[in-house]
Amino acid sequence: MVTYIEKPFKRLMGIRGIGQVLTVTAGLVVLSVIFGIMNPIFFSSRNVANLLRQIAPILLIGIGQSYVLITGNIDLSIGSVVGMSTMISATLMTKGVNPWLAVLLTIVACLGVGLSNGLLVSFAKLPPFIATLGTMTIARGIAQIANNNYNTDSIGEAAQGLRDFFYYGKTFGLYNTIWIALVLWIIFNFILTRTKTGRHIYAIGSNAEAARLSGVNLVSTTTKAYLVSAFVSCVVGLITTATSGMGTMDAGNTYELYAVAASVIGGVSTLGGQGMLFGTVIGASIWGVLQNGLQFAGAPVAIRNIVIGIIVVISVLLDVIVRSGKSSRKKRTEASV
Amino acid sequence: MNDQPYIVEMEHITKTFPGVKALDDVQFRLKAGQVMALLGENGAGKSTLVKILSGVYTRNSGTMRLFGNTIEGDLTPKQAQELGISIIHQELNMCSHLTVCQNIFLGHEQTTGRLLDNKSMRSRAKEVLQSLDIDLDPDMLVGDLAVSKQQMVEIAKALQSNAKVLIMDEPTSALTSVEINQLFRLIKGLKEKGVGIIYISHRLEELQHIIDTVTIMRDGRFILEKPFPDLTMNQIIAHMVGREIKEKFPRIPAHQGKKLFSVQNLCAGPLVREINFDVYEGEILGFAGLMGAGRTEMTRAIFGVDPKDQGLITVNGTEVTINCPEDAIRHGLVLAPEDRKKDGICVKLSVRENIALPNLDLLCSKAGVVNRKKEAEMVNKAIKDLKIKLANAEVDASSLSGGNQQKVVVGKWLARNSKVVIFDEPTRGIDVAAKVEIYQLMNQLKESGIAVMFISSEMPEILGFSDRILVMCDGRITGELTRENATQEKILALATQFENKFENQVG
Repeated sequence: MVTYIEKPFKRLMGIRGIGQVLTVTAGLVVLSVIFGIMNPIFFSSRNVANLLRQIAPILLIGIGQSYVLITGNIDLSIGSVVGMSTMISATLMTKGVNPWLAVLLTIVACLGVGLSNGLLVSFAKLPPFIATLGTMTIARGIAQIANNNYNTDSIGEAAQGLRDFFYYGKTFGLYNTIWIALVLWIIFNFILTRTKTGRHIYAIGSNAEAARLSGVNLVSTTTKAYLVSAFVSCVVGLITTATSGMGTMDAGNTYELYAVAASVIGGVSTLGGQGMLFGTVIGASIWGVLQNGLQFAGAPVAIRNIVIGIIVVISVLLDVIVRSGKSSRKKRTEASV
Repeated sequence: MNDQPYIVEMEHITKTFPGVKALDDVQFRLKAGQVMALLGENGAGKSTLVKILSGVYTRNSGTMRLFGNTIEGDLTPKQAQELGISIIHQELNMCSHLTVCQNIFLGHEQTTGRLLDNKSMRSRAKEVLQSLDIDLDPDMLVGDLAVSKQQMVEIAKALQSNAKVLIMDEPTSALTSVEINQLFRLIKGLKEKGVGIIYISHRLEELQHIIDTVTIMRDGRFILEKPFPDLTMNQIIAHMVGREIKEKFPRIPAHQGKKLFSVQNLCAGPLVREINFDVYEGEILGFAGLMGAGRTEMTRAIFGVDPKDQGLITVNGTEVTINCPEDAIRHGLVLAPEDRKKDGICVKLSVRENIALPNLDLLCSKAGVVNRKKEAEMVNKAIKDLKIKLANAEVDASSLSGGNQQKVVVGKWLARNSKVVIFDEPTRGIDVAAKVEIYQLMNQLKESGIAVMFISSEMPEILGFSDRILVMCDGRITGELTRENATQEKILALATQFENKFENQVG
């Protein structure tokens, strides 16, 4: 007879993909130590603060992509929504709109893209790759048209408060950007792990038909995941505006793939049903540490790209190897019972 | 019993799918506290009917009254559940990434405020599992459980929602006899509580233990509803197929030829240990055993799906090396696997593509271009020979009924000149008439001099159809019986010859 003692540790170890999360966490520590030894400045408080601020936007879009990947879909429109967010917010501000009103309008516009993604995928049943490829192109077009195919001028003095809020300001000694990422991570992690919506997101990624037959609303659940993705992309766009003080049309280009990388390195399965946002933190951090550390080491951008590509492949490969070993073992012990 | 009110009344139900009329003017009634067997061949429309009742499909026309209230318009799965209609689907529908507890509560999670109340869900899940005598930890991942356990989770899931109508579509096909007993006890308990139960099964022998009333369907139409004691098994079968099946096992005499295939000292993991056997031309060699005896594992090792630890395989007198299924196919071996949906067919491909898939080497030109004409000939021949029922060869293989899917799995191999054909549970979950067709198919193979290996957990089938029977237990072959001296008792005795673990430890 099984004694039903609740063992939190056992339950934690039972989570699928936990092996990969732990492996890449160890990898992150090792990488940081190596970079730290190569160049002591790496661990200077100034660099750490900068590093965390670099990681924050990748983490944010990683959260969005993770949500969508766990439902078994993908969001290719993330980068374009970042660009759209930057261009709309900056254009409105240069036209003299109150910065916070501009932020609000930008969020509404970006959520519109998320809503379209969700409905196209879950209601119209388009393949997510195609649906979001379409909205990716459209959103980029909107970014370009926002200011008549020009980057915007400076958003000016009036927007200084906004620039501090999203990028330059500090609270309790940490850059606000980091706080924003942290707070949103806590909120979205909470939703994913502790609420019904979160449970349903895992369920439809694991077996959509089983979820539907159990009474889970596929349309609303999928749409919520895409809305989260659009929202965090929008926030990253606003951070970009605050950083440069203007809107550039190609902002956020290929960010959707960075987001996939951060999620996947962190153990989120592109097949759905599996992943945790803690892993996404690690994935985004590895990304940031590599960029930052290799830069210190004097590696050109091209080398950085190659290294990061290799890391993506290796981290997933490790998981595949570990899992295939596990499953054949499992099959044998199970059968012998 | 008879004074109970009707809780389900369906009349003149019609449902069409593109190209097929699945239900034609069907009626169905169920009383509280009644156990109703819904019987019919594969494709008779049983699953479609209960899917309409549970809101998975919507009806084209007809009236539906549940618990005395007429249902206007369409029912969604959620509404059906809220009304108290629970269904255990034939194909397991579980989220493998979620735990037992999470699956049990999927779709009706308990919350405090907006938060999931994991604690109370877990304790309620334990209660349900314990009340069912299911020995499972609610925190186990469903994907890590054996199929029979997953089935029990599915039952627990249906019960926790306090169902008033419980639909079971082939619930026992994956269960062991102990679990079936548990299930029957459970059904009796539910019946006393006034739950109406709809029980779909092809295992007619099981029915007598639990059934009150029978509804029989054929070709999408309602045939009859009668109390079970008023019918004999033969009458039931006759109504199901619309004709008398004279011979349940159409055996033909064996013309045993030379030794065609032999396995020596095969070992592969704990469930395939020191396997030795020979198969001769033109014979059907049955493999009997309990679930988990290692028969499927043995076929997988032979076919090169799973790695072998050691062993010698000989085809036609020459030793062959089989490291992957491709090797096996090249040496004339064919495997029709146990789990159709997972291993047998490509569900998103058409019937044509499924049949052509293993034969592309025969169908393609040297440059690798598929010869459409040859392909069409092969596919048409297979469909005709096997009497596969379908609108046309372009439909998705997954849209066929279980029996017809099985025929596709078998059919795709017949175009090849195979020497050894391995059938792993070929008749699981398919109806009597389709079974006979599968038997006849095996006979054809046998007559043409092919060695047939036939694995089945159904004792009558193994006894009635094999020329020779090997019994397995715990990964070993524990005995061989000839067709003449084989009995159920002998097979069972061999199938339960477990090693005495205590003795082993001492020795």
